[in-house]
Amino acid sequence: MDSVHADGRAGTATTGVAPGARRDLLPLKILVAGGFGVGKTTLVAALSEVPPLSTEQQMTSLSDGVDDASIVPEKTTTTVAMDFGRVTIDDSLVLYLFGTPGQSRFWFMWDELARGAVGAVVLVDLRRIDDCFAAIDYFENRGLPFVVALNAFPGTDGVDDDLVRDALAVPPGHPLVHVDARDDASCTRALIVLVEHALARST
Amino acid sequence: MSVDRRQRPQAEGGRVVPNYAFTAGRTRSLAGSDMPIEALVTATEMGLAKAPGMPPEARAIVEASTEPQSLAEIGALLGVPIGVARVLVSDLAAEDHLAVHLPLVGTDGRPRRELLERLLDGLRAR
Repeated sequence: MDSVHADGRAGTATTGVAPGARRDLLPLKILVAGGFGVGKTTLVAALSEVPPLSTEQQMTSLSDGVDDASIVPEKTTTTVAMDFGRVTIDDSLVLYLFGTPGQSRFWFMWDELARGAVGAVVLVDLRRIDDCFAAIDYFENRGLPFVVALNAFPGTDGVDDDLVRDALAVPPGHPLVHVDARDDASCTRALIVLVEHALARST
Repeated sequence: MSVDRRQRPQAEGGRVVPNYAFTAGRTRSLAGSDMPIEALVTATEMGLAKAPGMPPEARAIVEASTEPQSLAEIGALLGVPIGVARVLVSDLAAEDHLAVHLPLVGTDGRPRRELLERLLDGLRAR
């Protein structure tokens, strides 16, 4: 009786109930994090089958002093824009890529985004590695699988991966890839490494 | 084996209502923020039949959802924040004008292993 539950395939059951509903549709998401200008939107665009879209999320939070105008802490509403793209994986799986705001002051929106995510690609510009610390800290704290992706910028080739891991304070052997965020195949490889890592950690 | 508790909030014990009852129109039982940004919606036949008489935003959502759309895409389509899109979609789903397809996660809150394997296969085939 409960076999539909036990099967765990929600989509199997979707068929035939809501007229017009597709068979077995299941969304997945991967976050693309990193500092401003590191290439998040470029990577999303390289992978997405549609031009990247932008959506806004309104956030209410305590002002954290970043805004100079706020002398006393008070509630502020912030609108955060996110770029995202879509990759159809097979006849029922649809993968969404969300470029997440890199600034640590937006940590409050990451919780919602991170829930249920496959994992994250942390895009790094070696000339400005400080920009990705907030993202790495966040994913480590939440136990979300992530891969470090070094975006190819001029003058950043030939670096030693272990030195980079050390600089980023991630464990030896942590998944790290070199990407060209403009190149579909290169970005796909980063996703593959991420999913392999997530699988290795899943039970 | 287990399914996302959010899809069946009263599922302790021998509930016999299968998952589809929760993904096809029962979104009102979801507290607003529980419909994730990647949740997919598809128009139902009833929704498409009634779309011409709907308010413009609702009509736009239903007609766009002849192809699966995520909540994020609905927000981008209408040019509204995710929270607004979520309310509109929830209302349409409650009327059975949209079917909602939620992500499937295990007890650890992560996508189930079988889904990760299918994702990996799909990415490798690109």
